[in-house]
Amino acid sequence: MGIGATHIDHIVIGSNDSAATAKLFSETYGIEIKRVMSRPGTGAHMEFAKLQEVVLEFAGPGTPPEGEEPRARLGGFVFAVEDIDAAVAALRAHGCTVEEPHAAVQPGAKLAGIKDGTHGVPLAIIQYGALPIEETKA
Amino acid sequence: MLTKIHHVGVVVKSADEALTFYRDALGLPVTEDRVIDDQGVRGILLKVGGSEIELLEPTRDGTGVARFLETRGEGMHHICFESDDVEAELAEARAKGIQLIDEKPRAGLAGMICFLHPKSNHGVLVEFAQPIKEH
Repeated sequence: MGIGATHIDHIVIGSNDSAATAKLFSETYGIEIKRVMSRPGTGAHMEFAKLQEVVLEFAGPGTPPEGEEPRARLGGFVFAVEDIDAAVAALRAHGCTVEEPHAAVQPGAKLAGIKDGTHGVPLAIIQYGALPIEETKA
Repeated sequence: MLTKIHHVGVVVKSADEALTFYRDALGLPVTEDRVIDDQGVRGILLKVGGSEIELLEPTRDGTGVARFLETRGEGMHHICFESDDVEAELAEARAKGIQLIDEKPRAGLAGMICFLHPKSNHGVLVEFAQPIKEH
């Protein structure tokens, strides 16, 4: 049965200098950066590319540390599901600890992190169209 | 041209244990499950949409995957981009001064594959794969 995952929604590449890492992947591998976002108040800087259905998210601090070489690592990924409540119930039935679904940054989406059993991978599930857009986080 | 994310590689201690989560709890179907002797790994591909998750369990000590598990534990190991011409991608990466792990494509779980050194990618291990077309 499972969670009804339709695809990998996004993969996070965390970096101490996300702009530099996004630029490296763009210039070296021709991966087009489609969106750049700095979140006021959080100091976060994110850049996004999309390869078919999967978003590649380069995430890091707003201000890269001075004098340090850029360092990045794979930071987890998120599965898209059609029914997040059913997916959470299915995971809990398998003994997994899963967050309550909550409003995601993505417009109209709900997100829940899977807290254990993932074999070292930060994982979450997301459902688009789960909330009215106005309930979405800024 | 890199066309999509082919898979995300995940190193695990026990592929059988990992399957209880990735196959049974998540419900992802297994498309490949095989031991690659010369690389010292058991590799399993699970399909999700147009991409896959690749579980890698070391089958002997001294391999890159075994060293990763020893030093960093279980977790995300690499990201693999699909190409329709992996040899051309490799030549282009070489021309751009990217440090290569594989000087030429070789057979792997995902088809003809090659790895590019994390030192050239801010610490991220990158793989290219060209799936073998079925006739």
